[in-house]
Amino acid sequence: METSKSLPPITRITKFTLIDELQQRSFVIMFVICALCVFLIRGCFQGNYMVNGQALDAATIVRTLSKATFHVIGAGVMVITALLSMRIFRRDRTEGMQACILSKPIARWQYVMGKIIGLWLLSTLFMFTLHSIVFLITSINLKVFMPEYLIASLLCSINLLFVVVAVLLLSLLMPDIVAFLCVLGVGIVGFVGDGIAAAGHSQIAQAIVQQSSGHTQLDVTWWKVMYALWPKLLGVQQLASSLFESESNHGFGPIYPLINVLVYCFILGALLFKRFRNEDIV
Amino acid sequence: MIELKNITKRYESLTAVDDVSFSVKAGECFALLGPNGAGKTTIVKMLLDFTRPTSGSLSLCGIPGTLAECRQSVGYLAENNHIPPSLTGWQYLLRCAELLDMNRSEATVQCRHIVELIGMQGRENTKIGTYSKGMVQRFGLGAALMGNPKLLILDEPTSGLDPIGIREIRQLLESLKDQGMTIFLNSHLLSEVEKICDSAAIINRGKLLVKDTISAIVKDGETLEDVFVRVVKG
Repeated sequence: METSKSLPPITRITKFTLIDELQQRSFVIMFVICALCVFLIRGCFQGNYMVNGQALDAATIVRTLSKATFHVIGAGVMVITALLSMRIFRRDRTEGMQACILSKPIARWQYVMGKIIGLWLLSTLFMFTLHSIVFLITSINLKVFMPEYLIASLLCSINLLFVVVAVLLLSLLMPDIVAFLCVLGVGIVGFVGDGIAAAGHSQIAQAIVQQSSGHTQLDVTWWKVMYALWPKLLGVQQLASSLFESESNHGFGPIYPLINVLVYCFILGALLFKRFRNEDIV
Repeated sequence: MIELKNITKRYESLTAVDDVSFSVKAGECFALLGPNGAGKTTIVKMLLDFTRPTSGSLSLCGIPGTLAECRQSVGYLAENNHIPPSLTGWQYLLRCAELLDMNRSEATVQCRHIVELIGMQGRENTKIGTYSKGMVQRFGLGAALMGNPKLLILDEPTSGLDPIGIREIRQLLESLKDQGMTIFLNSHLLSEVEKICDSAAIINRGKLLVKDTISAIVKDGETLEDVFVRVVKG
């Protein structure tokens, strides 16, 4: 197979990143364990579920379980992506690959872009494979076809791009494990915030807020701004999952989480390129 | 081929390189000498844009050092060279060839030639993790020679090599020099430098102390080592 002469440097770095990661034993083990875990849930799709004495139809079971699995896989792969991304620069540095690549006619931004795309592709493929297993289980066992499930998986990959860019940037500024924990923290706070916001829409919560003082009202407004600006990782997952369920999103509009995460990707990406441009290569 | 103009590099309060200017002509074999911590590796890193000078400018092959294109015809071997242990020597060389925009058939021909040149036939398909330091160094040199560069920047190329390996590398560098390749050598092995190089510069504490041809630096009855000690000790 001939490699094209016009193959841009970014594509080559992307290819090396993919090969290097796929050769890592830890990556293969992680993938096999995740695939097995997802495969093992197939039993949940086959049971007879009763609610208020009435048997649920297959489509309801499939959609409810698929949604839960979709979110668990989405969140799980975000953690795995953060783990994969946190050591990427350090490994390239200690193994001499960074100096080898950058001593060739390859610009720093091309190197960073290749790394981002490589990691993003790999994690997207990872998540898509796990979601595909769920898709196959529902298609074969229950004869319920949801092609939107796979489209939703691809949409959810925006979150993975955020994780890759954020961890790569932070890994240049702090120890790898701290970078991983910071991004994990951002994700957890976002998920908890979304949970609190969902609970806040309940009548009881609204009644409590109405009874409280004006000072508290100010605090709530401040937190609302924080909440609106916080990376909407769960929001993107909910938006994606709305593709295969009939619910519609509320609040800031259906595509706000997507715009929010894309803006973060753009800002963090710009900071990453700027930071790496001034980085000393050792 | 190489031009440095008033290059200074400061790390907070430490001045690693202090207003250094020199040039290396095409086809010349040049050695940068100095004691440990003199600023030699910092200069090499600035040549490759691995670190940016605080002030001053430099160019390679007439192109500013900040542009990636200036490294199109540059081969580089790092001090304490490292290679990913999960790759074989062959895969590593192929990777370097791909980075230079070669197609698979060109790369295969080049890699075969280089494996022969560095004397590693029969060992190229084993994992780098199993190689000795000297073997890693040979593959690093092989990677630097990929694509027949016009300029070769070598930071301690004989590091980790046994006396036979050092002699082989010297012979290889001599043949490359005869082919018209410009060689920028950063080495502590003054006897080797004296045998191979046309010119040299001695730096200490970031300052350029001497820059001339070897024949002009080394006077009758002296060795390069004598000159080096005299100049560095002031």
